[in-house]
Amino acid sequence: MPARCRAVASVVVVLALSAGGFAAEPLHARIDALIAAGHPNYAKEAAPVAGDAEFVRRIYLDLAGTIPSAAEARAFLDDTSPGKRATLIDALLAAPGYARRMAQVFDVVLMERRPDAKVPRAAWDDYLRTTFAKNTPYDVFVRELLSADGTDPKTRPAAKFFLDRNLEPNLVTRDLGRVFLGRNLTCAQCHDHPHVGDYKQADYYGLLAFVNRSFLFPNATAATAVIAEKADGDVTFVSVFDKTKAVGATGPRMPGAKPLDEPKFDKGKEYTTAPAKDVKPVPAYSRRARLAAAVTSPDNPAFARTAANRLWAQLLGRGLVNPVENDHPGNPPSHPELLDLLTKEFAASQYDVKWLVREIVLSRTYQRASEVPAALADVPADRYLVANLKPLSPEQFAYAAAEATGETGLARTALAAKATDAALDAKLAPVVAAFRGVFAGRPGEPEDGLTTTLDQTLFLKNGGVVRALTVAKAGNLADRLAKLPDDAAADALFLAVLTRPATADEKADVAAAVKGAATRPAAFGELVWALMASGEFRFNH
Amino acid sequence: MPACSYACHSANHRASRRAFLGAAGAAAVLGPAGFASPAAARELAKTQKRVLVIFLAGGVSQLETWDPKPGTDTGGPFAAIPTAVPGTRIGELLPHTAKQMKRIALVRGLNSVSPDHGIGEKIMLTGRKPEAGVEYPHIGAVSAKLLGADGQAMPGHVHVFPAGAGGRSQDATFLGPKFASVPVVGGKPPADLFRPAGLTDEADRQRDDLRQKLSDKFAKSRRSAATEAYTESFAQAERVFRKADVFDISKEDPKTVARYGTHDFGRHLLLGRRLLESGVTYVKVSHSNYDTHHENFDFHIEQLGEFDRPFAALLDDLADRGMLDSTLVVVMSEMGRTPKINDRYGRDHWSAAWSVALAGCGIKGGAVVGKTNAGGTAVTDREVGSGHLFHTYLRALGLNPTKNFYPNERPIPIADPKADAITEILL
Repeated sequence: MPARCRAVASVVVVLALSAGGFAAEPLHARIDALIAAGHPNYAKEAAPVAGDAEFVRRIYLDLAGTIPSAAEARAFLDDTSPGKRATLIDALLAAPGYARRMAQVFDVVLMERRPDAKVPRAAWDDYLRTTFAKNTPYDVFVRELLSADGTDPKTRPAAKFFLDRNLEPNLVTRDLGRVFLGRNLTCAQCHDHPHVGDYKQADYYGLLAFVNRSFLFPNATAATAVIAEKADGDVTFVSVFDKTKAVGATGPRMPGAKPLDEPKFDKGKEYTTAPAKDVKPVPAYSRRARLAAAVTSPDNPAFARTAANRLWAQLLGRGLVNPVENDHPGNPPSHPELLDLLTKEFAASQYDVKWLVREIVLSRTYQRASEVPAALADVPADRYLVANLKPLSPEQFAYAAAEATGETGLARTALAAKATDAALDAKLAPVVAAFRGVFAGRPGEPEDGLTTTLDQTLFLKNGGVVRALTVAKAGNLADRLAKLPDDAAADALFLAVLTRPATADEKADVAAAVKGAATRPAAFGELVWALMASGEFRFNH
Repeated sequence: MPACSYACHSANHRASRRAFLGAAGAAAVLGPAGFASPAAARELAKTQKRVLVIFLAGGVSQLETWDPKPGTDTGGPFAAIPTAVPGTRIGELLPHTAKQMKRIALVRGLNSVSPDHGIGEKIMLTGRKPEAGVEYPHIGAVSAKLLGADGQAMPGHVHVFPAGAGGRSQDATFLGPKFASVPVVGGKPPADLFRPAGLTDEADRQRDDLRQKLSDKFAKSRRSAATEAYTESFAQAERVFRKADVFDISKEDPKTVARYGTHDFGRHLLLGRRLLESGVTYVKVSHSNYDTHHENFDFHIEQLGEFDRPFAALLDDLADRGMLDSTLVVVMSEMGRTPKINDRYGRDHWSAAWSVALAGCGIKGGAVVGKTNAGGTAVTDREVGSGHLFHTYLRALGLNPTKNFYPNERPIPIADPKADAITEILL
């Protein structure tokens, strides 16, 4: 299509959207139209859609948390059916790997690697996986997280958000704002944000007021503590910038919204169970009980917007509002109409996570190649001309390393008939734990972007765990490659580790490396390492 | 030194002391040749500043060290001894240190507010009281960031500590993982620094060439700073590996090893000097354990016996190598100990009136600032906090503590704006 016609077509689509939406057009097509409209000459400058090899690796990492096996990659690459990408997407969304991957992502979003003190890891993992396997609507999920008090064993895992922060009110307030509302209100604890007019101290304390009467019962250190609440306690605050030391006060309210109407009680009637020694008080009216509804209410637009933006960022490597947790008028989205559209559609879908993920990954925008076209001099950070690189999470790295080196295959074989996903995960758990130990962020610290500390590099270079994966042993990749002729071995090596065929150059490199080596298995062990330690493996591209 | 009437010197006592102190085993193998040529050391000294913090973990008693009160009901059994600085006396358990006093400045009026191990450590290493909404970086991360050179081979922030005495620390906070401490446990090199058995130099080089080739091709086609950072991390690890000898004390002149002593702390302090010399910006060497709730006096004999000689050896060694003027040395704890002696001959946690010692870069040796009352229960003159000390470290290093860091564009003062430097001990 000539460029002019394409431009006109984009405008037509945009007009149609502003006229109330062309309902028959799927969301992924509307995403592409809005992205194209967001940059002059987009069609000419943007990289092409990714080739099959790049796509299959990316989609497995994003939807299953691991790379495809060589066989799975081969099958996809050899498949000639026109709709194969959509078919693969649907297959991965239906497979258990999806729930595991989403559970891993949301564990870090919600808990930032904090120690498991009051809700054990297994119970929390289970709860998250079940949530994503069942595709629980996102607003229902968040209401569970914010309303569980930990007394019912069935819903206790959901209370981890509060419990494993010891219900420390400032920590909870900051993370409520950050995680669910896209607002990092840290500064606003002590004063209105000096640069972000939108983040006010009153907003911070309005959130805090939902939890200020809550506390851990019987005490903050008991592993079985539950959440209790008093009937009294008001929130006041003073700005450290205010020389007059004027005292502000607020009841519970979402940022930018009115405070809640709160019932008044006659003296003596404030509790259904009055506080007493070793007795958990139950107030007649609970502020915290209103938090879940207030956060997920349609009257709180930040909720749907942040959720949609977060899912977009997870898949595209960058939020439309970037960073995801700094949404305010001074940091506008790169594509405002698109964010509004995703927000509206996500809410209208009843917060159907799987549906939104599917629409996003079906888009050409998601499927764009990551290789920068030679003609493109400048790659703006926020125009989606080229796919963004996403460093593998510690879990993706571990699972990909295990798959690439044949460790997963060996585990599957060893388990034989008993190779359930749970059993396989259990067998790979030591590898995952080792990668987590080195690559995970520190507790309470955000885990985005690439870190490269000395201990991480040495773990990869000389560490025992990685070496045990790469070095040839009966049935693993290096062992199998050693038995093949050089050319076939090179192809098999690159397919298994980097999910693509080897170039002629690379085949020559492999042959040269093997030629001088004392033994073939040893040489292939080191070749497997070289590919696994390369930048191409480290990133989801 | 007179025998301590509280020590029983029985085999049981010695055994429990071993367990208590976590003392480890074998003496280092002695070998020839120093680590760096004196000329190289002088060159390094001219252009770069560095920091050595000796952290006496558990809370050293100021009454047994820098601010003795002999003959009082809080003073305990030890005498105070004269030092190389007329008029200044320190505890008799530090005879070698006493001879070094012309190089050492004392701050005796320290009130660090919290008598808690964790909070006290944070207060002393960040120069701040813990605050809502921000985690401050330790002096190690700050030094590494402000004094380090881009692309320097060695990590900027290293923590040497005995095995079993520490863990992964969140000490760089918003300055980023590049400036977080690299742990050196028990004086051993970082885990996995050396090639695994069965991997020859040749095989390692060859596999690394291929890794590099693939990474370069990938980085070029994606034009991403992140991929370059990843590839560079392997080059950095290789540079550290090439300096791996720094961890090998046996490469040191045996006379030097003997001066520091072959016990753990002696070797760790010598390792600290080697690390600084090899280009590490900040080294913290921890000495365990001073938390003497019982048998305070006996344990301080043991502990300070381990500290005194190597500390003096270190100051001589730094001076001999022309490094003393460019290396800030600080001796601190997370807190002091109570003047009141409890019923187990111990002293408990105490933050209201204790001492820190400094030497080296920018420090006026021999200066003493701050006074406590006769029993050591309160500061009577020139009370300072950890914030004042933090300012002082930075000024001593020629840095400006009134500037800001800007994590996420939020201005965060490098040092507590409510404090300032203790000019009495600065040159």
